[in-house]
Amino acid sequence: MAALRRRLWVVGGAAFGAALAASLLFPTTATEAGGLGLLSLYSLARMFAAYALALVFAIAYGTTAATNRKAATVMLPLLDVLQSIPILGFFPAVLLFFVSTFNGSPIGLEISVVVLVFTSMAWNMAFGVYEALSTIPHDLEDAATEFGLTGWLRFRRLMFPAAVPKLVYNSILSWTNGWFFLVASEVFAAYGTTYTRPGIGSLIAQAGSRADVGGIALGLAALVVIVLGVDALIWRPLSGWADGFRIDVPRGETVRTVRPYEWLRWIPRFPGMWRRAATRFKPVSHVYVGASLRLEHAYARHPSVPKTIRRVDLALFLVVFVIVVSAGLVGLAGLFLHLPADAGEIPAAALSSFARLVVAYGLAIAWTIPVAAYVGRSAKASRILTPVLEVFASVPATALLPVIVGFALAVTAHASFGLQVASVLVALFSMQWYLLFNLIGGVRSIPGDLNEAARSFGVRGWTYWRRVLLPAIVPSFLTGSITAWGAGWNALIVSEYFPFTRDVHVEGLGWLLDKATFITGDSQLLLFSIFMMIAVVLAMNKLVWRPLIRRATVRYRVEAA
Amino acid sequence: MTKKKVILEVNDVSRSYFEGGKEFKALEHIRFDLYAQDFVCIVGPSGCGKSTLLRIIVGLDRPTSGEVLFEGKPIEAKNPQVAMVFQSFAIFPWLTVEQNVELGLEARRVAPSMRAEKAKRYIEIVGLTGFENAFPRELSGGMKQRVGLARALATDTVLLCMDEPFSALDALTAQNLRDEILELWSDPALPPDAVLMVTHSIEEAVYLADRVIVLSGRPGRQVAELEIDLPRPRNRREPEFYGWVDDIYSLIV
Repeated sequence: MAALRRRLWVVGGAAFGAALAASLLFPTTATEAGGLGLLSLYSLARMFAAYALALVFAIAYGTTAATNRKAATVMLPLLDVLQSIPILGFFPAVLLFFVSTFNGSPIGLEISVVVLVFTSMAWNMAFGVYEALSTIPHDLEDAATEFGLTGWLRFRRLMFPAAVPKLVYNSILSWTNGWFFLVASEVFAAYGTTYTRPGIGSLIAQAGSRADVGGIALGLAALVVIVLGVDALIWRPLSGWADGFRIDVPRGETVRTVRPYEWLRWIPRFPGMWRRAATRFKPVSHVYVGASLRLEHAYARHPSVPKTIRRVDLALFLVVFVIVVSAGLVGLAGLFLHLPADAGEIPAAALSSFARLVVAYGLAIAWTIPVAAYVGRSAKASRILTPVLEVFASVPATALLPVIVGFALAVTAHASFGLQVASVLVALFSMQWYLLFNLIGGVRSIPGDLNEAARSFGVRGWTYWRRVLLPAIVPSFLTGSITAWGAGWNALIVSEYFPFTRDVHVEGLGWLLDKATFITGDSQLLLFSIFMMIAVVLAMNKLVWRPLIRRATVRYRVEAA
Repeated sequence: MTKKKVILEVNDVSRSYFEGGKEFKALEHIRFDLYAQDFVCIVGPSGCGKSTLLRIIVGLDRPTSGEVLFEGKPIEAKNPQVAMVFQSFAIFPWLTVEQNVELGLEARRVAPSMRAEKAKRYIEIVGLTGFENAFPRELSGGMKQRVGLARALATDTVLLCMDEPFSALDALTAQNLRDEILELWSDPALPPDAVLMVTHSIEEAVYLADRVIVLSGRPGRQVAELEIDLPRPRNRREPEFYGWVDDIYSLIV
């Protein structure tokens, strides 16, 4: 792992060097991009704001769902739907809403970007918290109850630590996902000149619209450096820290004895100051403890009080839920009475979007399976290729937009065919990494015994693929496919409309959404297109992926001995 | 035997589970009393509901009918005078030894300085001095269970409840811990006053207990309550010892 990290630094350094080279080759861009550091900070600030919100939401939602069974019956299906909705489809609506709420001030724009990135991070983390809390060993929960851990102390001593490993792991996924959406929303906001906000994504998009190669290169290099830097400085130490909270350590695996909280020791660098602060605040905390003790005594005398509070809590949640749902229904009914003029285009648009995603998915399968088989089975290939692939994957597909479109238009003679190729490529770049990394994981998880047995019976070549490799990777192939398709649907909104040099587009749901937002300002078409997309995605999840996964887990799961 | 002070009353406790409209009886009509200075073992075949019984006794589960009274009042899980030691140790992997031992005190909002003092004392009693700041994954199974024991004792426990506390340990470690528990129990200056232990090992029960309560399998019914009047320390090689083991064995089979 340490070696891998070193290699990542090397690659990051190379990216930095490329940026330097680009600034030397294109000196005019370099002077313009002088504020690169500041732009990166803007983008990073949006990411951290969204992540902080997502963290608070995930802990609150996951904890409530795991501890309140009645609430869970509503909250879990809701989360499941939210998770499978292509969030980016909502961005135009969110954007219009906040911009008009704040009378076109930049604050509205910033809020809508943060909200979008938040929605790309939160659901997965909330699920993580819920999963971790619902799998705490019973004995540990019993011990907590037995020794009187309730309320805040129970959260601090039992629930939060138990949730840490899953929360950190899912945070890393969410963070990566967040980059895709951050860049997308910055690019997207850059479409209308009135909506532009400074950031790395908008820098790349604007450079793209000027066909400014140096600017694009600089922006991409800066993005790679930031992504790898955050990974090295925050996520890797954090996941080491999170290992200290794992409850079950798989056999044969030695966890370094990481001391929980140890990693955070660097915070109190000034022990004297902390002690002084502690003495200053002690009276306050005593008053607080006393007050809460009294309150607890009061509760103890009236055992119905906590129950009432919980009921009121649930009732409030249900009331809000009912209001939201009924408002949606009323809106829907209103919409159906006045069909927008373009509504007839929607089914055909959905079909062409779907067809393009199928082509991209096919391409992704075609190259990822052989590469995963190679990387997963050869230690040497893995050592060399993994860091390279990680760096490629660290660049959100949305940031590559100008490069991809330029490339596609340059290599194809016919412009409209070139656009189709560009659109498929953007979808491919959004989908392929999920497939690749899941597949590599799947190939690696083939037990050594199984491989050795195959070798000892002389199973090689095509027979090996058919009898060992392909069946073994079915589960991870499906997981990767679902995630890849989710990313593909999300990419629609940036993959069908390219307002860089000229306003060009291909037919599809994404184009309809963009058109409704920027050109016609038709909010009904916007909503209809979103509903269509959600309907297709939910139908695919329920009718294709879920049944496949159910069958695969029965037939293809490799049982650990 | 002169009657001592009753600390725990188990009054006609039954427990059923309902699944798909069907009733599964886990425990039926369990009744016994526990006195100060008592050491009682509950033995029975696996699946006889002895762990369920212990969970009801410490207040982690509720009986379908009947009641459990501790010093005359209905038992509650958070009652610090009844503490539990778990088969799987159930110590928190993210807390140090000292933090684990302090847990029950922290829940009762004991001041930090007092907590630390008490924790230190009990860590010393169970022989873990020097490991205060170690994390559970750095400890052996026997040491983990010592942490569980110290944590249970630190709340000035009157009744110590143990659910197969030694079955996850190797034979030698288990025997050492058994003797240490006996020592603690017989020392009037130290908690606990009384011990209630669930085990499937008949030998262990005869080695430790004043009284053995024998349960039959599915549903758990109380078959016998035996007073083991062997002198202490007990010797496993003596014929009397084996006499008791054989008696209990024939009751269960």
